[in-house]
Amino acid sequence: MKTMLRALRTSAVLLASVAGFATVAHAADPLRVGASFIASGLDPTKGSNGWALASHGIGENLFSVDKDGVLVPELAASAERVDKLTWRVRLKPGRQFSDGAPVSAEAVSAGLAHTTANNKAALATGGKLAFQAEDPLTIKVTTERPVPLIQALFAEWPLIVYGLKADGSAVFSGPYAVQSFKPDAEIELVANPHFDGAEKRSPITYRKFGDAQALTLALEAGELDLAFGLPAESIARLKKDPDLAIKSFPVGYQYLAYLNTRKPALTDARVRRAIDLAIDRSQLATAINGGLPATGAYAPYFPFAGKETRPTDAAKAAALLDAAGWTTGVDGKRSKEGAPLELTVLAYPQRPDLVAMLPVVKAQLAPLGIAVETKIVENANDVAASGDYDVFLWAQHTAPSGDPAFFLNSTFRTGAGLNFTGYSSPDFDAILDGFATESDPAKRADIAAHAQQKLFEDAPVSFLLSPVWHVGLSKALSGYEPWGSDYHVLRADIGEAN
Amino acid sequence: MTLPARITLRTVTSLLVISLLAFAVISAMPSDPVAIAIRAWNLPSDGATVAGLRAQWELDRPFIERYGSWLARFVRGDWGISFRTGEPVLAEFLQRLPLTMTMALSGLALAPLLAVPLGFFAALRPSGLIDRATRGLAVFIQAVPSIWLGLILLYVLGVQLRWIRPFTRDWTGLILPVALIALHSLAVLTRVYRRDLLEVTRQPFFRTALAKGLTRSAALWRHGHAHALYAMISAFRAEASWAVGSTAALEVLFGLPGIGQFLVESIAARDYPVLQAYVMVVAAWLLVLNAGVALCLGWLGPRPA
Repeated sequence: MKTMLRALRTSAVLLASVAGFATVAHAADPLRVGASFIASGLDPTKGSNGWALASHGIGENLFSVDKDGVLVPELAASAERVDKLTWRVRLKPGRQFSDGAPVSAEAVSAGLAHTTANNKAALATGGKLAFQAEDPLTIKVTTERPVPLIQALFAEWPLIVYGLKADGSAVFSGPYAVQSFKPDAEIELVANPHFDGAEKRSPITYRKFGDAQALTLALEAGELDLAFGLPAESIARLKKDPDLAIKSFPVGYQYLAYLNTRKPALTDARVRRAIDLAIDRSQLATAINGGLPATGAYAPYFPFAGKETRPTDAAKAAALLDAAGWTTGVDGKRSKEGAPLELTVLAYPQRPDLVAMLPVVKAQLAPLGIAVETKIVENANDVAASGDYDVFLWAQHTAPSGDPAFFLNSTFRTGAGLNFTGYSSPDFDAILDGFATESDPAKRADIAAHAQQKLFEDAPVSFLLSPVWHVGLSKALSGYEPWGSDYHVLRADIGEAN
Repeated sequence: MTLPARITLRTVTSLLVISLLAFAVISAMPSDPVAIAIRAWNLPSDGATVAGLRAQWELDRPFIERYGSWLARFVRGDWGISFRTGEPVLAEFLQRLPLTMTMALSGLALAPLLAVPLGFFAALRPSGLIDRATRGLAVFIQAVPSIWLGLILLYVLGVQLRWIRPFTRDWTGLILPVALIALHSLAVLTRVYRRDLLEVTRQPFFRTALAKGLTRSAALWRHGHAHALYAMISAFRAEASWAVGSTAALEVLFGLPGIGQFLVESIAARDYPVLQAYVMVVAAWLLVLNAGVALCLGWLGPRPA
């Protein structure tokens, strides 16, 4: 009995100490930022690290888009065309990497050449690129294909600027420098001492949240100063909290569904078109409490966006399936030569809206006799790259450089780096070739419209929604203004209260 | 051969067999990691890149040669380089393992500390308040996924009451995950301990003890505790296995950089060195626990009749 009483006492002491420590006040911490994504590494050539590192405020491009989506110089001062395939880019003077080394033409050229040699996505618009430092601030750029607007090319996320150190690692020039990095979990950022206004910038702890509800709860619990990408269903509740500011904003992202053209059931374009027609986009918008039905590949505020909402026509969808040989059995399920029409539809938790859309898509395909299995996968890029899916709900910024060409070139051109659907069409590629020689924005918009029309017909993708996103802010960052994407979550000015 | 020597031999043999089986299963997983890396990292898909990666990751060598090479390096402390992050796997595990182990071990340690008194009082008064409460707790905990319960506790304790700071990076951020593991094990261990205590009350020697003038609680403690402890320790083994799996889910929920979170991110990338290292760590964890349990039971001596 004494032993038992001792055990009881020990338990009580343990519990009491836990409860006591739990309420200990903490000293002032760095700004705490939470989001559903994080760079998978610090190598800017790997995958989409270029995008993530710029988004975290670590890296910069030669050109970028500003808050209004306008293409502006960033590390570059200007660019001028020399001939059909050659450009001369002037760098801004006085810029430094976070180790104090100058952002020179030689360093930038070496970094960009390293990227183009190691990341196919960097070749999407201009083909192979060659860089030559002409003087400390001038780079001669030679492209394989004519590029009518080199500024847009250098605003593309793979072409982030960095200096290559002797050990092969990269050093960047953005407002924040990496102090420590835990893959898949956390980055500790400090102000880059060589970036203007460093003394006004607090350190930041940037954390990845694998669960959108946990992100929301962390904000509500006062554990975050900025929660980026809050799930729509939590917004009404969060807006009632007087300690928080919730800001909603339209984004350049589009929600879309990749249709894997390599899968037996989806090799026939009629089946893919049927799926595209079966989807009622207004129901999807309702499911995520916001957003507009997509008109095509681009958010409606871009001048090159489509004007008409994508149609829904269940009868036409059924007719297309019938014509493709997928007939309805007595059980209401479609099959062809004994094989049922079953699709695996994926989404990923880093975009909670997509997860919320999954059951709606399933419900909309069911009346057509299409059986759907839904799955949520963690590593979207890896799974998409493996091709192990039928339909993949995806969020993609389709005009990150303020121009329509990059998305179409990198995602649907035959063999392109981000072509996850296996789509291959010489006719479509020929349409895209027009981007290489046309610099007039109106005519580029026409090419984009023509290319989208071809995508509507071949349906390797179904454009679903132009969403609205939400950020939650504590009082420490209530001045934060979200830009129209997650390409610039952390920037030189994030509206710190101090 | 002494008991510790037997256990050590069995543990090492089991680890070798597990390592070979795991290596075979992981190598046989569908989808080639090189193909995935080339597409995920947007690498040029030319023959040179493919051959370079295959050589770098030793995928161009026969299975047995690869296994032998991996094993030789593994025991020397070279666990390879992660295909996905490019970082040494051992360093990554050493950085992450303390967190996972702290979570799992703290939860597992807390559970029996509470299970003994709760189980004892539940058995002392069957159908009494504590007995009914622990039964309800057991049913509830077994029925509810730990992720869901975690979200509820986050909301109540972290948001509404502000008793805890669930996402801090100091040890207080571990309170909820540890509590969730402890709660699950507590529910199971309490019921197991109670059941075996009650079994003792039906034995003749227990009635004799009462006839000799011992109170029910004293008789239960003197004659039932050791008996019930056996069953609880055996159940603890199963709980330890459960804790390994649940740490991964809790690490993702609470954003904790442990080995479970690392595993989740590594599966789709077919990151062979990480997957293999995870299997080995978990296997070692379970085998060491099993050995610990066997030693404990040996130390307790033969089970009382």
